[in-house]
Amino acid sequence: MYDTIGIWVGALFTLAIYSFLYKENPVYRLAEHLVVGISMGYIIVLIYNTVILPKLLEPIFGGNHWLLIIPGLLGLLYITRFIPSIAWLSRYPIAFVMGTGMGIGFPLTMKAYVLRQLEAAVIPLYSSGMPWHEVLGNIVMIFGTLAALIYFFFSKPHKGLFFGTGSKIGIWVIMLGFGATFGFTVMGRISLLIGRIQYLMGDWLHIIE
Amino acid sequence: MGAVNIWEKMLNLDRRWIFLGIGIISIVFFLVGFGMPVTTTKEVENIFDFVNELGPDDAIFIGFDFAPGTQAENMPMAVAVLRHAFHNNIPVFMTAIVPLGQGMAVSALNYVTDPAIDGHYERVLFEDWADYREAGITNREDIIAAWERDGNVLPEGALGWVFEGRDYALLGYLPLFHLVILGMTNSIETQFPVDYHGNPIGEMPMLKEHKSLRDVDLAVTNAASGACTYWITYAREKIGLPIAFGVTGVMATDYYPYIQSGQIIGQMGGLRGAAEYEVLLQENGITATTDKAFRGMDVQSAEHIFIILLIVIGNIAYFAGGFHKKTRLKGRG
Amino acid sequence: MKRTVPLMIVMVGGILMIIQYFIPHQYSLIVFDNYLEWAPIVGAFALILGVGSLTRLHSHKIRRRAKNWQYSWAVLIPLFGMPFFALIMPESLGGGTDVHGVHDFLFMHVQVPIQATMFSLLAFYIASAAFRAFRAKSALATVLLLAAVVVMLGQVPIGAIFGRWLPETGLWILRYPNLAAKRAIMLGVGFGMLATNLKIIFGVERNWLGGAGK
Repeated sequence: MYDTIGIWVGALFTLAIYSFLYKENPVYRLAEHLVVGISMGYIIVLIYNTVILPKLLEPIFGGNHWLLIIPGLLGLLYITRFIPSIAWLSRYPIAFVMGTGMGIGFPLTMKAYVLRQLEAAVIPLYSSGMPWHEVLGNIVMIFGTLAALIYFFFSKPHKGLFFGTGSKIGIWVIMLGFGATFGFTVMGRISLLIGRIQYLMGDWLHIIE
Repeated sequence: MGAVNIWEKMLNLDRRWIFLGIGIISIVFFLVGFGMPVTTTKEVENIFDFVNELGPDDAIFIGFDFAPGTQAENMPMAVAVLRHAFHNNIPVFMTAIVPLGQGMAVSALNYVTDPAIDGHYERVLFEDWADYREAGITNREDIIAAWERDGNVLPEGALGWVFEGRDYALLGYLPLFHLVILGMTNSIETQFPVDYHGNPIGEMPMLKEHKSLRDVDLAVTNAASGACTYWITYAREKIGLPIAFGVTGVMATDYYPYIQSGQIIGQMGGLRGAAEYEVLLQENGITATTDKAFRGMDVQSAEHIFIILLIVIGNIAYFAGGFHKKTRLKGRG
Repeated sequence: MKRTVPLMIVMVGGILMIIQYFIPHQYSLIVFDNYLEWAPIVGAFALILGVGSLTRLHSHKIRRRAKNWQYSWAVLIPLFGMPFFALIMPESLGGGTDVHGVHDFLFMHVQVPIQATMFSLLAFYIASAAFRAFRAKSALATVLLLAAVVVMLGQVPIGAIFGRWLPETGLWILRYPNLAAKRAIMLGVGFGMLATNLKIIFGVERNWLGGAGK
C-alpha cells in the first residue's frame, strides 16, 4: 500500500513537471519549491544522525572526549553570520576549514592534476606491433596537448611558427574535444528522460519491464 | 521568396513539436524494443575484470556520489557493480560524497535486495545475526551454515545471502568528504564510528579485516560532479588505491586523461557505460538478464538518430534559406 | 581580530598542512589525525548557513506577501517537517528514517521523482537547441558538429549498422584528440587551483572574508 501510494504520488509529480514543457504552471512551481525544502530537511536529519550525534554529542557526553567541544564551538560560530554586530566571528570556522583544506590539497592536487598528467603525456609514439591508428592517436595526443596548451597561453601573441601554428592546431583539437563532449551531453540528457519513462511505463503502469 | 518563407517557418517551428517528438519516440521504442547488441569497450572491461578477480578476502568501496537528478545514469552502474560484488562475496563499503547520495545508496541496496525481483540477494540485518557474532562466528561460510541450520531458508529466486557488516556496510555521507577519504586512509572507524543505521562499525567483521583504505582493493565512484576526483587526489595519490569511475555522460569525456595516465583503472560513461557492465555481467553468468541501462539503449539509439536528423534539417533550412548570408550582412553592419 | 586572526588561521593552517605532507613525523601525524576527526564536525555546522538563509528568505516572502509567497510554505513546511518526523515523532506515528515513515516517503516518492524529472527536462531542451543553434557556420564549427555526430552514433548500438568504423572512430576521437584537449584544460585547471591555494594561504585572495565587518 505504502509503495503503491508512493509510486502514484511520484508519477503524478512526474507528469506535473512535464506539463511545464507545454506551459509554466502552479503545480510545477509547487514541485520546484518542495524539492528545495525536502532536500534541505533531508540534509538536516543526515547531518544530525551522521555527525552531530555520533561524532560530537555521544563522544562528549558518553566518554571523555571533551576536546571535541572545540570543533563544536568553532562550528557554532557559523550562527554569528546572522547577527550583524558579531558576524565577523563566522570567519573563524571558515578560516579553519579553508586554510587547512588548501594546505592539504596543495601537494596532492599538484600530483593528481599536474605531475601525473605531464608524466602521462611523455610516452613513446610507437612500439613494435602497435596498429597505425594508435600511432596516429599517440601523435595527436602528444602534439595535440601541446598545441591546446599553446592556445590557452595568452601571454604571447599567437603569431609565428610555434605560437601561431600551434594555437591554430590547438583550437582544432579543442573543437574535436568539445564535439565529443556535446555528443556525450546529448546522450546523458536523453538517458535522464529514459529513466523517467521507465518509471512511468514500468514502475507505475507496468507496461514494460 | 516563397522558398525562404518555408525555411523560415521551419526554423521558427514551435519547439513543443520537437518536445512531442522526443516524448513519442521514447514511449514507442520502449514498447517495440529491438534489443540491439551493445559491444563492450576496454574502459568498462577493465573495471569488470578487476572486480572479477576479487573475492571474500578483499573489499571495495562503492561511492553513491550523485543526487536523484542523475540517478537514471548513475544508479544502473552502481547497481551493476554492487551485484557483481555480492556475487563474488566481496565486502562492500557504501559511501556518498553528496548528502542526497545517501538516499541513493539506500535505494540501490533496496533494489538489489528486493524480494520481488528474481535474482535478488536476501539481506540479513546487522542485529539479526548478532548471536553468531557474539559466538565468534564471523567467517562468511560459517555464518551461512549457522544461519541456515537455525531454519532460515534462502527464498526461491534469491541468488544468495548478504549479511550486513559482513558483506556490506552502508557508511553513507559525511561533510567535507575529501578530508573523510584522507582520514579513511588511516582509519575507517575514526571517520565513521557508526553506519547509516547507527550500528557500531567497529563490531563489523568486514571492518575488523579492512581497517583503513590501505586494506581496500578498489573504490568505484559513481558520480555526477567533479567531486569524484577527490578519490584520485586523496586516495589514489596518497596511498595508491585503485579507482574506477562511473560518471554521467556530460562528464565522461573530461576524464579520459585519467584513464590514459593510469590514475583510474577504467570508466563507465553514462547509460552506455552502465549497459556495457550489465552485458558483461550477463555474458559471465553473474546475472541472468541485463537490467535498466541495457533496456534503455534502443530508445537511446532512436533519440540520437532523431536529434541528428534535427541537426541536419536545421542546417539545411539555415543554408537553403540563405540565413548564413543574412548573418554575415548583419555582422558587416 | 576581525580580519587578521582569520587570515593568520588560514596561513598557519595551510602551511602546517603542507609541511605535514612532506614531513610525516609521528607527532605531526597525531595532530593530523585529530584534525581529520575535527574538520567534518566543523564543516557540518556550515549547514546552519544554508538553513538560516533559506528560512530567512522564505519567511520574509511570507511576511511581506511577496509575489508567489504561498509557495514559500512548500519550502518551509518540509524543511522543518522532515527533521520533526525523522528525529522527534515516534515510529508508530510515521516518525524515524526507516522505510514507511514520512521522512522516507517524502524523500523517495516526492524528492526523487521531482528532481529526476526536472533534470530530464533537459533532454527536450537539448533537442530543441540542436535544431535551432547547432550550425556548421565555419570550418571549426563543422569539425565540432561532425565529432559530435560521430560520437553520438558511435555510442549507441544503432551506430554499428553503418559499419564498425563508426563506433571505432568515435572511440578514437574520445581516446586521442578529446584526451589531448581535456588534458590541456586539466593542466590549466590544475595550475589555477595551485595558484588559488597559495593566494588564499598567503592572504592575497581575501574574497572569502565577505563583508561581515571590517
